[in-house]
Order: sequence, then C-alpha cells, then structure tokens
Amino acid sequence: MTSAEATARVLPALQAIVGPEGVRQGAEVAAYRLDAVAPGAAVLPRDEGEVSRTLLVASQHGLGVVPWGRGAHQSVGRLPIRYDLALDLARLNRVLAYEPADMTVTVQAGVGVEELQRRLGEAGQFLALDPPLADRATVGGVVAANLNGPLRCRYGTVRDLVLEIRVAQADGTITKAGARVVKNATAYDLTKLHVGALGTLGVILETTLRVQPRPAVERGWWLIGGNLERCHDLALRLLGSHLAPNRVELLDGTSGPVCGAPGPGPALTASFAGVQEAVADQAATLKRLAEETGLRVAAMDNGPAVWRTLQDFPWRSHDDASAGRIQWRASVLPSDCAKAMRALRDAAAPNGIAMAATVAHGALRGELIAPSLQATAAGLTAAREAVGALGGFLVVMAAPAPIRATLDLWGPAPDGAGLMRQLKAAFDATQVLNAGRFAGGI
Amino acid sequence: MTPQTRRRLLHACQEIVGADGVVSAPDELRVYERDALTTHHRATPDLVVLPTSTDQVASVVRVCATAGVPIVPRGAGTGLSGGAIATAGGVLIVLTRMNRILDIDLPNRTATVEAGCVNLAISRAVTPRGFFFAPDPASQQASTIGGNVAENAGGPHCLKYGATKNHVLGATVVLPSGEIVQFGGRLADQPGYDLLGLFVGSEGTLGICTEVIVRLLPLPQAVKTILGVFRSVEEASNAVSGIIARGIVPVALEMIDQETTQAVEAYAHAGYPLDAGAVLLIELEGRSAEVATEAFEVEQECRAHGCLDARVAQNEEERALLWKGRKSAAGAFGRMTRNYYHQDAVVPRTKLAAVLQEIAAIGVQYGVRVPNVFHAGDGNIHPLLCYDDRVPGQFERAMAAGDEIMRCCIRAGGTVSGEHGIGLEKREYLRLMYSDDDLAAMQRVRAVLDPVGNCNPGKIFPEARHAEASP
Repeated sequence: MTSAEATARVLPALQAIVGPEGVRQGAEVAAYRLDAVAPGAAVLPRDEGEVSRTLLVASQHGLGVVPWGRGAHQSVGRLPIRYDLALDLARLNRVLAYEPADMTVTVQAGVGVEELQRRLGEAGQFLALDPPLADRATVGGVVAANLNGPLRCRYGTVRDLVLEIRVAQADGTITKAGARVVKNATAYDLTKLHVGALGTLGVILETTLRVQPRPAVERGWWLIGGNLERCHDLALRLLGSHLAPNRVELLDGTSGPVCGAPGPGPALTASFAGVQEAVADQAATLKRLAEETGLRVAAMDNGPAVWRTLQDFPWRSHDDASAGRIQWRASVLPSDCAKAMRALRDAAAPNGIAMAATVAHGALRGELIAPSLQATAAGLTAAREAVGALGGFLVVMAAPAPIRATLDLWGPAPDGAGLMRQLKAAFDATQVLNAGRFAGGI
Repeated sequence: MTPQTRRRLLHACQEIVGADGVVSAPDELRVYERDALTTHHRATPDLVVLPTSTDQVASVVRVCATAGVPIVPRGAGTGLSGGAIATAGGVLIVLTRMNRILDIDLPNRTATVEAGCVNLAISRAVTPRGFFFAPDPASQQASTIGGNVAENAGGPHCLKYGATKNHVLGATVVLPSGEIVQFGGRLADQPGYDLLGLFVGSEGTLGICTEVIVRLLPLPQAVKTILGVFRSVEEASNAVSGIIARGIVPVALEMIDQETTQAVEAYAHAGYPLDAGAVLLIELEGRSAEVATEAFEVEQECRAHGCLDARVAQNEEERALLWKGRKSAAGAFGRMTRNYYHQDAVVPRTKLAAVLQEIAAIGVQYGVRVPNVFHAGDGNIHPLLCYDDRVPGQFERAMAAGDEIMRCCIRAGGTVSGEHGIGLEKREYLRLMYSDDDLAAMQRVRAVLDPVGNCNPGKIFPEARHAEASP
C-alpha cells in the first residue's frame, strides 16, 4: 500500500481528531517533503490530547510518523522506512509557565526559539542555547535534534538545560520525566533519552528549561595572524585558565572570511560576557596571552552579527542549492582540534572545506564543497577517515538529495547500539516514530 | 539463598577476587547491613565481595547472574536513601578497593577514576595544578564517585555548576548480565541515545559503574563568602529570591535556621549569631571584578530585606570558619537530638518562604522539632526530623511529619528528592510525582538493561499496587 492509500483510509479519523483544518493533503504536503518523499498527509494537533489520539490511530494502522517543528533541521538522519504522516506541532505554541525568579520556563514543543528568547529577554533572562537557524527552529525540534551552538562553551548543551520533558509515546501514551525544578534526583532521568533522539522514542510535547540571567555586556575579539596550531594553543590556554570565556571558536578553511574574520587564514574568536569591569579585565589578560602566543588581537565591532553567522554556520549555506555541499559535525578531543582540522583540510583537497570548532568540547562542524556530487561523496569518506584516525567520529547533518541515500550519514554504530535498539523496541515496537532515521539503524 | 548456593558463590567469588576480597562471617557481614539511612530498614547481605578491577566485577556479576542471585553495588555507604541496603539479600559488591585515579588530562580537562575513588580525592589531585571537580556533596570526604554517579549527588555548589550528571562525561559499566559497556566518553555529542545520562542517578539498578570520566573545571580567580544575618527564615528566603532576581547566580546560597545555628555554634564556633532567626551563607566565584560587584549587590539585597548584618569574610581563615559551621551541621545535629531523619526535597525558589512556614506548622502539629539547613538557592531543602527512639511514639510522629512535608513540597510544584535519591526511603512518594504510565516507562527502560530484575532489587520503584487487575 502506498503512503497515500494508507493515509487516505485514516483521514476521516484524523479529521475527527484535529478538525478538518488540522489535516493537510495534496499540494499542501510538499512543505513536509524529506528529500523527494512527501507524506500522505500532515496533521496539526491543537493540544497534547490530539497528538496522543493521532499517534494511536497511526500506530493502529501501521503508519510511519515524522514529528515536525518548522522543518529547519529535518536534513538530519536517513529517510524513515515509512513516511505517511507529518505530525506538525506548530499549534502547540504556548509558553505554559514562566516565573523569572525560579529561572525556569515551561513551553510547548512548537514554540519558536527566537520567540522564547524575546519573551525571556523582557525579564532580563535568556535561554543559554544558540542552535543554528534559531529563527526557524522550535524548542521541541532543538531538543529532539540536540542542536547546540558556540554558547555551549560556557553554558553546556541541551541536556544540561532540560529539566522536564513530556512526550507522547508511539501508541499515544503521554508520560513525563524529570521535574519543573532546577535540581532533581527522582528515579530515572528519562529526559536524557529524548534529548537528541530525533523523536524516535516519543514525540516531545513540552519541556521545562533552565534559563539564565542575561549578562550585562558581551564583547568579542578576533585573534589572527598565526597558523592553526597557534590559534588552537591560545584557545586551550584560555579554556584552562581562570578566565570565563563565553564563546571560543576556532575557524579554518574558508570559514573565517565567511564569518567576518578580518583577513584570510585560520582565526580564533573569543568573547567574554558579564559586568563591564570583568569583561575589560579579561580582555587585558586575553591580549597578554595572545602576545605570548604570537597572535594579533582585533576587537570585534559587530559582535552580534558575527555570533549569528557563527551560530548558523554551516547550516545557512545549505539554503544555496549548489551541487556538492555536505554539512557535517565531528568530535575529537579538545586538544586534537587543530590536528583534526589540518587532517580534514588535507582530506578535502583539492576541493574546498570550511569549518569551525567549539574547542571547549572538541565539537567541529563544517561543510565540504566540491564541484560534483561524486567528488563530495569521496571527500566525505576521506574526511571521516581523517577524523577516525584521531579516535573521533563524523556525522553528516545535511547533504544533497541525489546522494543522501548513498552516504553513510551516521558512521559506525555507537557503543551500546544493541541496548539502544532494544530501547527503541521497548517504546516503539511497531516502528511508528521516525523509524530508520537515527544512528545504529534505529 | 540456600546454604549450597551460598557456599558455591563463596568459592566462586574467592576464585575471582581472592580470599581476602570476600566477607562471609556473619558478624563481619553485619557491618554492611545498612548505609547512612538509619530510619527505615536494615538487611544483611549473604556475601560481600570487594573486587579490584572491572574484570573482577564483571566476573562476580556473571557468577551471580548464573546463580540467579541479587547484586547490590556499594561505595562508601554514605547514601541517605538506603540504596546500598541488600533488602533482598544476595551479593553486595563493594567498590572501595577500586579507588585509583587512572588518568588526569589537563589539556582536555578530564580525569578518569575508578568508581571507588573518593570525591574529594579528585579535587585534591588537581587543585595544585589549578583545577577542581565541582560536585561537592556534604559526604565528599568519604563518598565515592561511583556512589555520586548512582545518586546524581549534588552539594552546595550545584547552584552554579550543576549536579554530578553535568560533570560526568563517561562511565564504564558492568551490566547485570556481566557484559562490560562504555556509556558516553571523552568525545562530545556521540550519536545514539544518551545512555550515560540515563545511567547517572539510576541508583545502581541498571548496572555497576567501575570507571568514571569526569570533567574538571579551572579554579576561579576569586571567591567571596558573605554571611547574611536575618530576623526570620521568611526574610532570608525573600533575600534569596531578591539576589536571584538581580541576575546574580552565586555558587552557593545556603540557609541555616536558628535552631541549627545554635547547635552549630556550640560545636564549631563558626561565628554565627545566636539570636538570628536565620543566616544565609552566600558564596560568589568568578573574576575578581565580577565578584566584587556582585558582593556589593548581594549585601544591598540582604539589607533591602531587613538583614541585621551582612559581612564578607575578609580572608581565607574567616571563609573557612563560615563554611565549617555549615559543614558541621550534620555533626551538630548529634548534640541536638538522639535520633534524626534527614530529608531532601526541592521546591521552586519562589515557593520557599511559604513552604518553610508550612513545614514549621507541620512540626508544631506533630510535636516534632524540624531544624533546617539547606541549599536555598536552588530550593533544595533538608528538613531534619528530630526524635528519640526511646520515647514511644516519637519515631512514628517524626515519620508522619516527614510524610506531610513531602506532600507539601509536591503541592508546591516540587520534587521528593534533589540529591539523595529515592532508594528505599521514598519509593512510595514517587506516585505523588509520576503517573503509572510515567513509572511504566521507567520500568520498560529497566527491563532492557536488567531484564531479570536482580540488579539492586527493591529500590526506587513503589511496590506494585494490589487489586488493580481485578475487574
């Protein structure tokens, strides 16, 4: 049975659940395509009860469901083995609880990251999370895909900020994990299983997040004029010192100019945030360290623009459909960042590569740029080997549709893959939710 | 366990760890009949095994799995929720002989240690080189990192730095089947489910961790500790909210009520005023310039909420003395009361003043003294229910008051444990927080990692309800 036929049989049931205006079909589902594959229908529930009942219908009829935020990061992962319904959470868009003095906020999954930041900003707070394409991302999507940005250097990643999660399991059962308080040690922390799981264990309905006071000022600097190793060395010294940098990003390949670096070649950016005096005092130390390392310091006069570009790197270029671009992320030890970048540059040659590393976590991201699809695919293999030789791994985040199916997106199965598959089977035995998209064939 | 099974296991374990690594004499086993939870239960394990390597742990676990015998992991036995009590008998696997620091990697800011390594030993090893390990449970001089991982231990400094789960990067785990697996690791963002995040705080019910990779932090440039003296707990609570509302996140924000300050002073002479209704111990860490500004603002905020005095420790000695008072609280309690039950719960910070009032009222209602010394900054309270087990009825009244307090915290939107875990102590309270479906989801996870259910059985989950299945 095709997806359209399977979906057609349940349309009346779905319309009864979410209302006729809550089901999209025909030309309207083009917006929910994954590569060339469109679902039979898109369903837009109004509340968690409707999500639950939609999933119950889907699981009873053996349909494949893809949870959907705003689609900005749906390039992550393989195509699902079945794609019948897009479960669009756009109408779950309320901030449910926000008490600034508790420094927590509870939101529905469909709330936009930027909308949330504006709301928190009114109280002088912010969510210390800067995922790529935040203007097109929902909180639920960012949690499900575990998307982080340069701010992770100071504030940690999604898993450090999520305090509570409510999910609808594949059969519609709604469960919560964690609690709406900043500290909790009550039974298993299942929130962690849903962070980064791409919705394969349940559809995220709402989450409570830790929020932070917004620093008084943030100022950034470029550190340039040296080779990659010097830049990297300075980054490690910064991170091992009692300075408290907000962001430390190492750029190589063509990413420097793309992100606004004042000059070609490798570059390091660093920023400090807090009260004016502390920022100034750290800047002075940074300058001293830079001199010792033989790097030139240039104050950044357009910090917010640079941060935005770095935050979106390399996702923004995914917009431009030029033939051979593959966006990836990779992890190595923080002390191996320069080695990895050099090896990646060699692996990509003679084609192009742009990359950035959040040195604190050894988290690299970038894109391979080649004149043909075949050349990009070959570059990917070489790049993965280069990172692998350092004990690291590389994951493809986005790739052109024609070659995506032929690429190994996730790399080797992770440690504990057997347990992970069993967990998937325990929560979604009939493979309803994003089946086949995740690491380890999950 | 039948005598034959026990004899067979004894020999098998002795083969694995050597004769000096197995405790089997009844009087020696009694040492292990409970941990730091003294109110609820005690149980003697059939055997105690002290392995010295991951392979030994795995072998012991395999032998137990084959025999169908429960295993219970234990570190230093400082847990406050009864997680290391062998309620179903079986083999207690004690990791204190695995206490080595295996690797310190300062460029990558990690340390790899065996599970039996004492929490404070990590910081001691790296402080001379400018680093520290952030989680600082009150037990840190004794408790092991493996136990900290099992309970997701916290401590005063979690307010800024987070709890154990935020500082553990990887763990080597022996599954209940005896298989050795690696969860997480030194590389960030590994593909797949976050099994490490699941494992931390699972209280020894999903396997036994034998090695842990922890994150180290650089020591801060400056530390300032401020003592705020208040007329009442309520004023102090409001000051806490005021400080947070200003956008200041101290590393620690501790409240000590009058009953406790009096006991502490008699014991530690920390310089806490005896007539104060409550004192706040506020610690700021970071850049000197930042800390100086924040200290000024904290003082202002304390005064705005009617504090009688706010003073900044002028040197390391004064600072150590202020902390000595806080850290001696547990010892001082021994002078205040013959017995006590040390509770743990979290409420939203904004509900703190109201909840503390309610707790005081509950104490009066049940005729139980309830001093309180706790992590006010994150709303993590530790009411101490005092009783005398020689006086009939006192224990029961203390437990009943404790029950009321838990319900009160849940009503306020809180949680029944911030850092001590559920263990044996709070199993029945889980139902106040989680639905049957929520608990069933956890049980599904457990069934994947521990399908037989012999890994620390009887912990965390409430007893199955009866008569539910009948039509």
